[in-house]
Amino acid sequence: MPNNQQNNPPKVDLRRHGPPMMGEVEKSKDAGKTLRRLAKYLLKSKYLFLGVFVAVILVTITSLISPAIQGEVIDCIKERSWDSFKLLLILLLVSFLLNTLFTLAQSLLSARLSQSIVRHMRYDLFKKIDHLSISYLDTHSNGDVMSRMTNDIENISNTVSQSLGSLVSGVLTIIGTVAIMFYYCWQLTLITMVTVVITVFVTKVMSTKMRSVFRRRAKALGELNGHSEEMITGYRTVLANNRQEKTKTEFAEISDRLTKEGIHAEILGGSMGPIMNCISNLSFVIVAAFGGYFALKEFITIGIISAFIIYAKQFSRPINDIANLYGSLQTALAGAERVFGLMDQPDENNSGSEKIENMQGNISFRHIDFSYIPGKQVLYDFSLDVKSGQKIALVGATGSGKTTIVNLLMRFYLADSGEILIDGKNILDLDRDWLRKNTAIVLQDTVLFSDTIENNIKYSNPDADKAAVVKAAQTSNCAQFINRLKGGYQTYLRQAGENLSHGQKQLINIARAVIADPKILILDEATSSVDTRTEQGIQDALVNLMKNRTSLIIAHRLSTIQDADVIVVMEKGRVVETGTHEELLEKQGAYYSLYMAQFAGNKT
Amino acid sequence: MLKYLKKYWYCCILAPLFMFGEIAMDLLQPDMMATIVDDGVLGGNMQLIFYEGIKMVLLVLFGGACGVLCGVFANIASQNFGNDVRKDMFSHIMDFSFEQTDRFTTGSLVTRITNDVSQVEQMIMQCIRSLVRCVVMFAGGIFMLYRQSPKFALVAACGLPFVTAIVVFTLKKASPLFTKIQQKLDRVNCIVQENIAGARVVKAYVKEDSELENFSKANDSLCSTNLRAQTILAFLNPCVNIVLNLCVVGVLYVGGYTVQANGNITPGQTMAAITYLSLILMRIVFLANIFQTFTRAAASWKRIREVLNTESAQKSGTQTADTDISGEVELRHVTFSYPNLPENIVLDDISLSVKKGETIAIIGSTGCGKSSLVNLIPRFYDATEGEVIVDGHNVLEYDIQALRSKIGIVQQKAELFSRSIKENICWGSEGATQDEISKAASTAQAEEFILRMADGYETAVTEGGHSLSGGQKQRISIAREMIKKPEILILDDSGSALDLKTESAFYEALNKEFSDTTRIIVAQRIASVRQADRIYVLEHGKICASGTHSELLETSDVYREICRSQLKKGEIVDAE
Repeated sequence: MPNNQQNNPPKVDLRRHGPPMMGEVEKSKDAGKTLRRLAKYLLKSKYLFLGVFVAVILVTITSLISPAIQGEVIDCIKERSWDSFKLLLILLLVSFLLNTLFTLAQSLLSARLSQSIVRHMRYDLFKKIDHLSISYLDTHSNGDVMSRMTNDIENISNTVSQSLGSLVSGVLTIIGTVAIMFYYCWQLTLITMVTVVITVFVTKVMSTKMRSVFRRRAKALGELNGHSEEMITGYRTVLANNRQEKTKTEFAEISDRLTKEGIHAEILGGSMGPIMNCISNLSFVIVAAFGGYFALKEFITIGIISAFIIYAKQFSRPINDIANLYGSLQTALAGAERVFGLMDQPDENNSGSEKIENMQGNISFRHIDFSYIPGKQVLYDFSLDVKSGQKIALVGATGSGKTTIVNLLMRFYLADSGEILIDGKNILDLDRDWLRKNTAIVLQDTVLFSDTIENNIKYSNPDADKAAVVKAAQTSNCAQFINRLKGGYQTYLRQAGENLSHGQKQLINIARAVIADPKILILDEATSSVDTRTEQGIQDALVNLMKNRTSLIIAHRLSTIQDADVIVVMEKGRVVETGTHEELLEKQGAYYSLYMAQFAGNKT
Repeated sequence: MLKYLKKYWYCCILAPLFMFGEIAMDLLQPDMMATIVDDGVLGGNMQLIFYEGIKMVLLVLFGGACGVLCGVFANIASQNFGNDVRKDMFSHIMDFSFEQTDRFTTGSLVTRITNDVSQVEQMIMQCIRSLVRCVVMFAGGIFMLYRQSPKFALVAACGLPFVTAIVVFTLKKASPLFTKIQQKLDRVNCIVQENIAGARVVKAYVKEDSELENFSKANDSLCSTNLRAQTILAFLNPCVNIVLNLCVVGVLYVGGYTVQANGNITPGQTMAAITYLSLILMRIVFLANIFQTFTRAAASWKRIREVLNTESAQKSGTQTADTDISGEVELRHVTFSYPNLPENIVLDDISLSVKKGETIAIIGSTGCGKSSLVNLIPRFYDATEGEVIVDGHNVLEYDIQALRSKIGIVQQKAELFSRSIKENICWGSEGATQDEISKAASTAQAEEFILRMADGYETAVTEGGHSLSGGQKQRISIAREMIKKPEILILDDSGSALDLKTESAFYEALNKEFSDTTRIIVAQRIASVRQADRIYVLEHGKICASGTHSELLETSDVYREICRSQLKKGEIVDAE
């Protein structure tokens, strides 16, 4: 699924494909390919991997030997051969000690291995996320991308640290145990095998049943969580519409259904334990009864019965384990596939390497056509010339394509046809990073990072000294409120600055643009979400910022842009008018009616 | 907690009883095997082996059946318990006042009703099954071991303190690390989240490399803490195992020497003792697990109780919606501050009145108290001092639902639910006809874009309304109030996401269709309010001026300043 996502319409919520649902096994599409790529990560720490492997083998061998020795000891007690008794006891002790030592080594090494894999994968994935194209991020929900970083990688890590070891040791234990049991007494072994057949059969029947019950429960749980989240966060609306009782009934209905499904699922799941316990006890009985019979007939000794009891247990456990492993292995593989799917996304376009010395800041758009989704064109033959130092305003209704122009200029998206030139050079021939470094942007949605105010301001230029930061803060009118904060510039912003008002956040964003000292400045609805009087403060800061720069301003509040050198009015992806405020008012065209609507209100 | 369990008392008793059955069968087996070995094999009694074998099979099946039944009853008890708690919590939450919900925060309420309830549910389950099982197994195992020979019990007694010490020590060492891991994980997630959400800024300032370095640091630190925790845990199993194994060697040694000295221990008993020993010692490890679930569940139960013990702070009156006058609102000397911030006075001595069919507007900058003012009318909050009067009665006298049925309020942040657009529109008034729906939608300027969608009114709104633009969401939520045909309509900055043309078309339609309705408009734009019969200018929680647009232009500095900030200097007259 991850590979054909580019064609989806914008903002598809894929979250439900993110975390695997409880009890449900997802199938990966090409397990072989995914496994090979996972193996590459494993092999990054070759020695660790080898170490884990060797440790698992040694653990398995020592745990196979111990019961045999134990059986011998019991026989010694019965035979009363005390010399070998002592020797065997010491041998047993040694094998126990070795087993412990190897188990420890295995756990330590596999912890290291899984952490190293996770670290590398997270690093690679983050690197990819930072180089993804904006179009990918715009069309995929943040939650979807996040869940790959958190859930999927976590699953892979758990599988590597736990399941891999038990898989290897499980297989080895089964083979070893069966071999030793056969060696001791093949008749008893064959009889014991009856329980294996029962185990496999029961597991198969139960797990098919369980899968469908658990899926139903996961669905009900999802519904319940969705309903309570929606109703609790939207409870103002619930209250305002007197819907409390209705909502409660709905909740009770879903909750009852969840409980019913939950009881079904859990009873089935919970029965697995007692049933397995029952089967394992059955094998105990078989060994005890038939073993007793064989011992009486003197095929075997009592010591062998003792050893058999342990072996029979030892060997039914990995069968259970492997059955469980299958599920978690599939989940991890599906997760890995999603992670690799994201890693396989192309990096954003990085063509061009030219840099312009002494950049002037002339921009020209030539005959640009553009569509986000094929067939739904957003810009039609858009052309515009901006001279160095000019202040250009783009106005128009929502959806007229204003922001698209910014997206194209910043190379967040590439035009379908036509070209954008800066000082006569096609921006695709320019070094992308250089282009962006010389263009600062202030967006409607403020972006702040969990860091100090100072670091947020000098985000665009980490080498800036304190004096430069203070100066930028003054230019952008935020020095005043920063100084009022207890921590001043060192105030730590939590959760994207929840302790600041929206206007204050926007001022910090502007300060960030100031310190970047760009040749080209873009203001994309920078003041739309603050009230008009707060806006005045920001407006003054913007005037300071726009001095000596080519500025592109997008606004739907017309008061913001009246002194622009050129106002471009856009409608449905086309330029319909250009001119100064006065010229356009005189024309009594599109701009005039926008203006009238804004200021005359209901009169028009 | 007992109150909720009482209903299922029979399950709470039956489940442990069946558990006893299962364990008893488990415990009997090694003993019976000892009989088979000692009396059957060594005594050469074939028949005994046969009978004991049959007996064992029957007991095993009985034990298995007990185990399954125990699960059935434990599940019925714990899940029904969870269900009852959940439903009770939800209906409590729905009865909370705004102030109470604010205090808990909605996010935390959602976690409490989902996560916390299932934590406690699991604990009850574990309590009934695992804890009983553990304790009985432990005690029974020791008893059976003692029966084989007191000497064996002595060996077990030597091992026990060591196993306990190892488990306690490991948990003590590891658990603070887990808190640290959570913090570091949050940090890693926070960086990823910020980089995804702020991708445009990261890219615009070419910060990819330094962000990667940042992430790499956080990631390394998380991984190394994780490794430390796992390293500590890696010691747990091998250490417990070695103690267990040493005890096995001890049992063999004791067994061997007692047999040698012709004491009262048989080889069969020695074998049985080994099985019992591992039963006992492994219980300690299980107990540690149960203990962890308990601590988590205790914290969850505390959070659940906080919700259940909070009684709705709002007392509802008895006045019905049937009043002599309709559509009048009056505020008399109202003062208000949010209960969690009593020193911060939001509204200060506000008096105003609206007659039926009038339109009033409230304007002022962000944070001046506009929304707080209108929130007092449907009793989302209660005034700290003064009276809010609707249709001649104090709002406190009304049955709260009756009061709210008179009022339609459109919030600034449009809240839609994940169902079809149609269901969203008739959310407050079920049984509305398609005609009424489409009329409400067209007044709200929503019909056009709804019909353009592939499924029209049946289009599903995705969770949180991501598939719609802000303006579209606002228009649907306006339509939802339109269809209610309220006596009093409050628009709380609800046109803010509409473009200006659409907004003025909406006001025009509103004036035409709802001329009898009392309208209270909260706004920031002069264009939205200038048509009102009366405009109140709010500044720092006080009404600083009121009158019509042209009156205010004459009399109020603040109003003129607001106008000026939206128009350009000297152009107020132009725009007239």
